Amino acid sequence: MKFSYNWLRELVPGLELAPRELARQITMKTAECEGVEPYAPWMQAVVAARVESVEPIEGSHNVKAVVDAGPEYGRRTVVCGAPNCRPGLLTAFVPPGVTVAGGKHVRTVLIQGVESQGMLASGAELGLNRDSAGILELAGVEPGAPIPGCPVDHVIEVDNKSLTHRPDLWGHLGMAREVAAFTSLRLADPVREELIPNGPPAWRVDIRDFDLCPRYSALVFENVTVGPSPLWLQARLEAIGLNPISNIVDVTNYIMAELAEPMHAFDADLLHGETIIVRRAEEGEELEALNGETYRLSPSNLVIADARGAVALAGVIGGAGSAIRESTRRIVLESANFEAACIRRTSAALKIRTDASMRFEKAQDPANTVRALARAVELFQLVSPGIRLVGGLVDSWRRPPEPKPIELEMEWLSRRLGRPIAKDEVRRILESLSFGVEEPRPQVFLVSVPSWRATRDISIKEDLLEEVGRMVGYGTVPPEAPLLPARRPWVNEERLFHHAVRQMAAAQGFTEVSNYSFISEEMAQRFGMAPEEHLRVANPISVEQSLLRRSLLPGIHKNILDNSRFFPSFRLFEIGNEIHKRPGRELPLEVPHLMAAVYARDGGAEAFFELKRLAECLMPGCETRPCAPRSYEHPARTGEIVWRGRTLGRLFELHPRFIEQGRASILDVDLAAMFALGPLPKKYTPLRRFPVSEFDLSIVAGLRVHCAELAARIRGAAGPMCERVQYLYSYRGRPLPEDRQSLTYRITLGAPDHTLSSEEVASVRSAIIAALEAAGYGIRQ
Amino acid sequence: MLDSTLSDIEARAVSAIDAAADAAALEEARVEFLGRKGALAQIGREMGKLPPEERARIGRLLNAVKQNLEERFEKKKAWFEEQALAARLDAEWLDVTLPAPGLRPGSLHPLTQIQKELEDVFTSLGFAVVDGPEVETEWHNFDALNIPPTHPARDAQDTFWLENGLLLRTHTSPVQVRAMERFGAPLRIIAPGRVFRNEEVDASHEHTFYQLEGMMIDRDVSIGHMLYFMKTLLEAVFRRDVTVRLRPGFFPFVEPGFELDIQCLLCGGEGCPVCKQSGWVELLPCGLVHPNVLRAGGIDPEQWNGFAFGLGLTRLVMMRYGIDDIRLLQSGDLRFLQQF
Ligand SMILES: [Zn+2]
Repeated sequence: MKFSYNWLRELVPGLELAPRELARQITMKTAECEGVEPYAPWMQAVVAARVESVEPIEGSHNVKAVVDAGPEYGRRTVVCGAPNCRPGLLTAFVPPGVTVAGGKHVRTVLIQGVESQGMLASGAELGLNRDSAGILELAGVEPGAPIPGCPVDHVIEVDNKSLTHRPDLWGHLGMAREVAAFTSLRLADPVREELIPNGPPAWRVDIRDFDLCPRYSALVFENVTVGPSPLWLQARLEAIGLNPISNIVDVTNYIMAELAEPMHAFDADLLHGETIIVRRAEEGEELEALNGETYRLSPSNLVIADARGAVALAGVIGGAGSAIRESTRRIVLESANFEAACIRRTSAALKIRTDASMRFEKAQDPANTVRALARAVELFQLVSPGIRLVGGLVDSWRRPPEPKPIELEMEWLSRRLGRPIAKDEVRRILESLSFGVEEPRPQVFLVSVPSWRATRDISIKEDLLEEVGRMVGYGTVPPEAPLLPARRPWVNEERLFHHAVRQMAAAQGFTEVSNYSFISEEMAQRFGMAPEEHLRVANPISVEQSLLRRSLLPGIHKNILDNSRFFPSFRLFEIGNEIHKRPGRELPLEVPHLMAAVYARDGGAEAFFELKRLAECLMPGCETRPCAPRSYEHPARTGEIVWRGRTLGRLFELHPRFIEQGRASILDVDLAAMFALGPLPKKYTPLRRFPVSEFDLSIVAGLRVHCAELAARIRGAAGPMCERVQYLYSYRGRPLPEDRQSLTYRITLGAPDHTLSSEEVASVRSAIIAALEAAGYGIRQ
Repeated sequence: MLDSTLSDIEARAVSAIDAAADAAALEEARVEFLGRKGALAQIGREMGKLPPEERARIGRLLNAVKQNLEERFEKKKAWFEEQALAARLDAEWLDVTLPAPGLRPGSLHPLTQIQKELEDVFTSLGFAVVDGPEVETEWHNFDALNIPPTHPARDAQDTFWLENGLLLRTHTSPVQVRAMERFGAPLRIIAPGRVFRNEEVDASHEHTFYQLEGMMIDRDVSIGHMLYFMKTLLEAVFRRDVTVRLRPGFFPFVEPGFELDIQCLLCGGEGCPVCKQSGWVELLPCGLVHPNVLRAGGIDPEQWNGFAFGLGLTRLVMMRYGIDDIRLLQSGDLRFLQQF
C-alpha cells in the first residue's frame, strides 16, 4: 500500500515530520514501511507558460513556439511536437537541466536548426497522468507559477503483510489517525456526513444474504458529465500507483484510497429496473467483467444483479455491461460492505485480485459505507459540475452487534508489558486512537472499540496491550530474565543421537549434505519404487518435485553424479526423513535415515569397506550379510546390515548402470530402529590374570566362501576357551589350485583361572581343524 | 720401582685413550689397561709381594690411577656414544613439510552446526528441544495457530498441499501446539526444523528452508522477559553484544506481535547496503502467545501465558557466512559444503 505524504499532511494539519522520519515512526508504531520515494521531484522546477506564437518548421511536424515562462525563465523558444501547441495555450514548461518522468533529461538543444531552450510537457512526461496525446492544457494560472495541485510529493510504501489485520489502514485516513496519535496532533476528518440527502430513495436495494453482504448503501446521480479528472486528482492517484480513468471512476478510487471503502459506479441507464439485488450467483451464471474476461460463476460467488442478471462481482470487479462511459448521464454509486471470507474465496477461485477485493478481504467496517458516499457527493461536484442527486440515501443493512467493551486492568497491563505504566498515559493513548475509555473501578478501564477496529482486529485485552505497547514504544521495556525454578528440561535423546551419528560420520571423513524432500515420478521409477506408494504434492512447483521421498537414495545419487564432475573421490552423507504413507493414521510415517556414500573414480572395493567401517563404528559388532540385490545395487556387492538381531539397513555398491564413471558405494541405515535399540550396554569383565595363547590357521576354501562364516565355524569349534578369532589375510596362487584360496585367521585362547597348557591349546586346535575338515575345508600347513 | 711403572702405565693409558679414534679403539685401550688381565690388574697382582706398609701406599696410588683412567675412559666413551647418536639421528632426517596421508574429517552442514549451537544455548536456559512432523495437518499448521480457513494470512500460493488435506508445514510453529499437547504448562521449548513454502527458487528464495521455533509458557510472562531471551539468543549467535528493537508486526498466533530488528552488525547502525541504509536488520518475528493458541494447545489462558518466536535459520546461516545464493544450502555441492 502506497501512502502520499502530502495527503497524510492534509489529514493531519501541522504535521512537520520529514517523509523519512515519518516513515521511520510509522514503522516503529504501526506498520512496516518498505521505502520512501520522492514523487515527481521535477515539479519543483516546472512552471506554467503561455504560448505566444507558433511557427511551423519546414519538413517537420514539429513547430517552433515562443512561450512566456514567467519572471524566472522569461521568454523562451522551444521546439514542440504536440498537436495542441497553439498560441494562447497555457501549458507546462520544463527548463533545461531538469530530468522528468522516465529519466528524460531536458537540455538546450538544436532541433532542425532551431535552438530549443526547454520543453513543453504532457501529463505523462511529468508523471502526473497517462496522457501523452498533447501538452498539458492549464487554466487560471499565471506564467511562471507552479502547476496547480501538483506539488512534489513523497510516497511511503508500507508492506501489505503488516496491514493484514488492519482494514482501516487500507486508506489514508486510517494511517493519518495513527500519525495524529503518535505525534499528538489533531486528525482532520474530510467527511461531511451532512451532505447525505434526506428523503425517500429513488432506487431500492434487495439484499438476499446479509451474512455475505451486511450493508449496501448507494446514491443515484443525474446530469453527470464524464470526462478526464482535474490534474490534481489524476496526479494524486498516479502518485499512489492508481491509473486515472475518468472523473467518476477516479473519485471512487480516490475515496477508496482515502477511506478504505471500495466503491463502484454503475451507468444507471444500462441497468434494468430500479432495484439493486445482492445475491449468490446461479450455477453457471456468466459475467463479463471490466477487465474484458468472462467468468462462469457459482453460488459461492456473490453478485450484484439487476432485473436481468449479474452486473458486478460483489466486492471484486464491476461488469462491462454497466460500466461508466463517455455517454453516461445517470449513475448509481455503490458503497457496500461484504463479508471478508466470501470475497477472499471468490477472488482466489477466479484469480482476480483487485484493489477492492484486497480491502474487503481484510474485513471492512460496515459503518463506513455512508461516510464514503458523503465524500463522493462533495468530490463529484468538484469534478462534474452540474451533477445532481436523485432522491435520498439507498441503504440496507443488518447492524452488527455492538462490540463488547473490553476490561483492561492497569496492573495486568504493566505485568504483561514488563514495565509500569501510568493510567493517564494509557487513557491518552487509547483515546487518541478513538477508543472509548471508562473507569468503572479504580485502575480498571472499560474500553470500547471504534467500529473500524472491531471487525476483526480488536476484541480482547491482549489487543489493547498491543495498542498501548506500540504507542509507548517497546524500546521503553527493559529486558529482564524471569525467575524460574531450576528444573531440568526434557532431554531429546533421539536428536542427540542424530547429532552423535553426524559427528561420527564427519570424523570418518564424510561431509554432510541436505537434499530436498521432493522427487519426481521418473526418479521413483528409476529406483524401482512405484509412484503411487509415495505421498503426492497436489500443487507441486514442477513435475520434478511432485512426490515426497520414500528413500534418500535419489538425492544422494544426484549428489554423487554432480560431485563426481569435480572430485576424483569423496565421501558424503545425509540424515533426513523418509516419508511413508500410513493408511488409517492421521499422519504419514516419517523415518529418519542415514545415507552415506563413498565415490572413487578409479576405485575398487575400498569404498564398500569404508562404509562398512562406518557402520561398525556406529553399530559395534554389526554384521553385513549377503542378500538379494535390488535393481540399483551391484548384484554381487550387496549386503544387509544386521545389528543385535535386527536388520537396520543396507550396504551396497551402486549398479554400474547408475553411474557412468567410477564406483560408488552406499550405506543406508534406519536411524529410528537403531535408536530404538539403544546404545550397547556396557559391562565390565575383570582383566585377565593369566596369559593367553595364540596360533594362526590357514584354511583352504573355495573362492566365494564368506569370511564371517569361517570365523563362526572356528569360534563354534574352539569352545569356551576361545577369546578371539581374527581374520588376517587371504592368499591365492601357487601351490593352491586356481579355484582355491587360503584364509588365515589368528585364534586367541585363554582361561580366567590358569595358564593354558600346550596340551589344552593343541586339543582346541585339533578340534577346530576337525570341524573345518568335516565341513569340507582343508588346512594349509 | 712400582711407582715408576705405575706412572708409566698411567701416561701410556692416557695417551692411548686420547688417541682412540673410535669406540673400538677405546675399548681396546680399556682392555689393555683396565681389563681383568690388563696392566693395572698386573700391578695389583704384583703388589701382593710387597711389605704391608708399602703395599698400602702402592694400593692407594693404584686406586687413584685407576679412578683417573676410568673417568677418562667413561668420558671418552660417552662422547663417542653422543657422536654415534647424533649421526644416527641426522641420518633420520625427515621432510616435515611432506603432506600427512590419510582422511580428514568431513564437515557438518552449516545448518546443522547452527542448529546444534542454538540447541546448546537454549538447553542451558532450561528449554527442551522438540521435533515435529514435516507433514502436518491443516489444523496444526493453521487453525490451531489462530489462522482460520478464510484468513488472508493463509495464502494458498505458499502452501504445498498433499492428499487428504495434509500439507507440508509452512513454518515450525505447529510444533508449539504439539509441545503444548504433549507437555502442558509450564513449558519452555525450541523446535528447529525443515519447512516448506510453495515458491519459485532463485538466489534468495527457496521452497525448502530451516526455522527455529521457540516458546515459553509460564505465569505472567512479559514482553521484558521475551526481550531478555531474544537478546541472549542473538548474543550467543553473533558472539558479541547486540542492540535489538521491537516494532509491531502482525502474526495471527501472537498478540501483541513483533518484528525484532537487530542493529546492523556491519555498520553499527550508521547505515550500509546490508541494512539498506536503515541501520537495522529484520531478524525474527515474535510475540506473546495468542490466547486462542493456548486454548488450542489445551492450556488455560487465564492461568498461563507466554511468548513465542520464529528464527529463520537459513537466513541466519547466510548472514553469518555471507552466503549469497540460498540454493547452495540444498545443492549437495561439496565445493560449498566442505568450507564449513
Ligand atoms: Zn548496516
